[in-house]
Amino acid sequence: MAAILDQSDSNQENQRHPRLIGWMLLSPLLIWLALFVIAPAAILFVYSFCSRDALGQVVYDFNLGNYARVFDPIYIKILLRSIGYAALTTIICIILGYPVAYFIGKARPDTRNLLLMLVMIPFWTSFLIRTYAWITILKSEGLMNGMLQYTKLISAPIEILYTPYAIIIGLVYAYLPFMILPIYGSVEKLDNALVEAAMDLGAGPVRAFSNVIIPLTWPGIVAGTLLVFIPSIGMFAITDLMGGARVPMIGNVIQNQFLQARDWPFGAALGMTLMFLFIIAFALLTRKSHPA
Amino acid sequence: MKRTQLACLALASILALTFSACSPKSSDPTASGKPTTGSKQLNLFAWSEYVPQAIIDDFTKETGIKVNYETYASNEEMVSKLVAGATPYDLVMPSEYTVEALLKANKLAPLDLTQIPNIKNIAPEYTNLAHDPGFKYSVPWMSGSVGIVVNTEKITDPVTGYADFFQEKHKGRIVVLNDNREMVSWVLNTLGLSINDVSPANLEKVRPILAGWIKMVKVFDSDSPKTALLNGDVDLGIVWSGEAAILYKENKKFKYTLPKEGAHRFIDSLAIPVGSPHADAAHLFINYILRPEVSVIISQNFPYTNPNLEARKLLTPEELGNPASYPADSSMLETFRDIGMAAADIDKLVTDLKSSN
Amino acid sequence: MDSLASTKSKPLLPSGMKLVDLIFGSWTVGIFIFLYLPIVLLLIYSFNESRLNIVWTGFSFKWYEQLFTNAPLIKALKNSLIIATITTAFSVVLGTLGAWLLYRYRFPARRSINTLIFIPMVIPEIIMGISLLIFFATINFSLGFTSVIISHITFCFPFVLIAVQARLIGLDPFLEEAAMDLGATPFQAFFQIIVPYLLPAIISGALMSFTLSMDEVIVTYFTASPASATLPIKVFGMAKVGLNPMLNAISAIFIVATAVLVISAELLKRWNK
Repeated sequence: MAAILDQSDSNQENQRHPRLIGWMLLSPLLIWLALFVIAPAAILFVYSFCSRDALGQVVYDFNLGNYARVFDPIYIKILLRSIGYAALTTIICIILGYPVAYFIGKARPDTRNLLLMLVMIPFWTSFLIRTYAWITILKSEGLMNGMLQYTKLISAPIEILYTPYAIIIGLVYAYLPFMILPIYGSVEKLDNALVEAAMDLGAGPVRAFSNVIIPLTWPGIVAGTLLVFIPSIGMFAITDLMGGARVPMIGNVIQNQFLQARDWPFGAALGMTLMFLFIIAFALLTRKSHPA
Repeated sequence: MKRTQLACLALASILALTFSACSPKSSDPTASGKPTTGSKQLNLFAWSEYVPQAIIDDFTKETGIKVNYETYASNEEMVSKLVAGATPYDLVMPSEYTVEALLKANKLAPLDLTQIPNIKNIAPEYTNLAHDPGFKYSVPWMSGSVGIVVNTEKITDPVTGYADFFQEKHKGRIVVLNDNREMVSWVLNTLGLSINDVSPANLEKVRPILAGWIKMVKVFDSDSPKTALLNGDVDLGIVWSGEAAILYKENKKFKYTLPKEGAHRFIDSLAIPVGSPHADAAHLFINYILRPEVSVIISQNFPYTNPNLEARKLLTPEELGNPASYPADSSMLETFRDIGMAAADIDKLVTDLKSSN
Repeated sequence: MDSLASTKSKPLLPSGMKLVDLIFGSWTVGIFIFLYLPIVLLLIYSFNESRLNIVWTGFSFKWYEQLFTNAPLIKALKNSLIIATITTAFSVVLGTLGAWLLYRYRFPARRSINTLIFIPMVIPEIIMGISLLIFFATINFSLGFTSVIISHITFCFPFVLIAVQARLIGLDPFLEEAAMDLGATPFQAFFQIIVPYLLPAIISGALMSFTLSMDEVIVTYFTASPASATLPIKVFGMAKVGLNPMLNAISAIFIVATAVLVISAELLKRWNK
């Protein structure tokens, strides 16, 4: 299962050796990676070993001081908290999003693309305005409390805004489409014959899901997890706006280093640490468990 | 596999060192303020929502100079882009401590005050500012303060300073600026210390008080603290005077007071970066906005404190009467000085306190 | 016409799953309500009398009127659309091509390449923004549309690539061989067999890429010039003085226009059957 994280190895037996044409076709991607991913990252990699001057600019005296600071318990705690929120968001997105992806994938062919677009269209408005709309809904004198009090479900307003609950609502809202769409890609190609066969063999809907459908759509779920979990670790704008900026996330810390604190090398070190953590985690999760 | 990975790493390191060694296209200190004439463009790099479009349009109409208005939302963003040197700016709008920092790094060009006769309109209390006495490098644009705003319908007791503000009974009904340096300065004021005295020893004294205060805060917001106040989610706030002025205009129940223990005054100024390609146009613009009839337009759009005495004469009584724009007693105001590396210590302290919340 | 429609819409779900279909259908409606709730509110507030986007004070059309004379805001929206469209086009090509090549060929550094692809997603936006700014400044590349588009493509194409990769798993490897046995060249096989198969994932990736580009602000801020300012940059700039309801108006117009376009294209398609 874990090997699927590295989806490039799924076709092992049938992969061919890349001849010249393979390399030529891959070159645009490689050049792009080299120029706009490796090179800029390399610049900050160098910065992370430097120190700063009074203006916050870089002084080239190579040392490991910044990396030592990264392991301060303050920052480790913040990093773990960010990962925690990201994990919770991802899980909720899977639960909320899978049925939607399934429904759209199994809908009539002509309506599928329409439904997909309808999922995305809300996110073509501005992030800030959307978030302020949520604030209007969730505030003490807002829509949600208004409705709940009107229907006599509660007697006093619930305080959701500026609490972790609001943060989770905001995070799930922002990332849900990025879970629905990849899962849809896998669901859409699901062959109904397989499901029918399972049902013919006596499986009820629950068994059909657990034994046939979910395993077959697993790559989509993994893709969705990657596209939600990884970016959401660095997310801080939502915590600031909907959580009242009370809990610092690792994104806040890094942003502060480049702005308020004017300590670029330390910010670079934090960023590089995130990157290294990812690389290590990725390598561990995709390591071949046994030679083919 | 190992060899390719090693090769990639080597390539990356070589690339990295090459780029770091190359100097970015820099706005080099060519003869500082090398006189330029007849410029037809002006690269203005200023705060977003601080320069009324009407002013820019009228300037272009009068002089034929096209203004390229680029914006930023914080001093540090401006410094980042300025130092990276991708675009040669003619005018920037740093706050007072940033002017000082830029001066220390020799990034600002001296002004030719003979081209700015309207400088006489500036009120006397702004002529000898700590960060740049005598307008050698910068001309004040707008000024303001950070103070206390209270929803007097909900809070009936007088709140005269930080001690009254941070009381247990106000817990959870407070919004403050999400600015680490600001927060530390309020505690320093309470301790009777200068807001610029951020030595590690003082920061240790700040720590326990600030820890208690942070627990009482419901919202930290530097962008729009008025939102929480207008929403009724909080009843008191420590906000920018411009925010408070907008609140007061919305509803007179929002009263602004400067804390009696002391407060921070900020001054945003126009300055010319070294190596600006259109320094003459920059001087023209500065002189232009110092005209009272132009300066008053800025005030009408952004109700901060206008340092231009002549412009103030053109304001309506209501605008002058807004306590947030023109507080009655501003003697206890101090400006921020550049604290260099200490900014990182402050950031660490506040992050730690917030995180332990 | 009717009989044609009925043969096309034969039941797609095995009968035992009808209950599941109902549950999932209602679930989807619920999620859509969740997704559109703030949007409806945003729309309503575009008619708010007060300039401050916080409390409702009355009904007014004035923001729509003001919008039509606000050239910089409309230009910003245009810029966003242009940048997002070009970004999506390139991201789709890079992402699909990359996913396919990594799948089909056994490149020696494929694990490293796969890891590198994730880097733009892992790196916080401010780091990416500043590092790209320094990079462009170093190679003397002036900031503008191109620099913004390059930055956007960099963090968008991984989304397309990962979505397409997921769909490639379980692809019948002999599909391509069969096509070539029938005389197709590898290029023909790719475009006529593989791409149609991948299309749902490509569309997924394209939608994600477009959305990411339309709404991105930090990296864009550091790599844009005033002429190429996008709508999110303008919105963030206005945050301090209070989000002008004109922003609601422009957002409302945009999504209503898009929704209408999409739905009418749909209806037209059905009409033409």
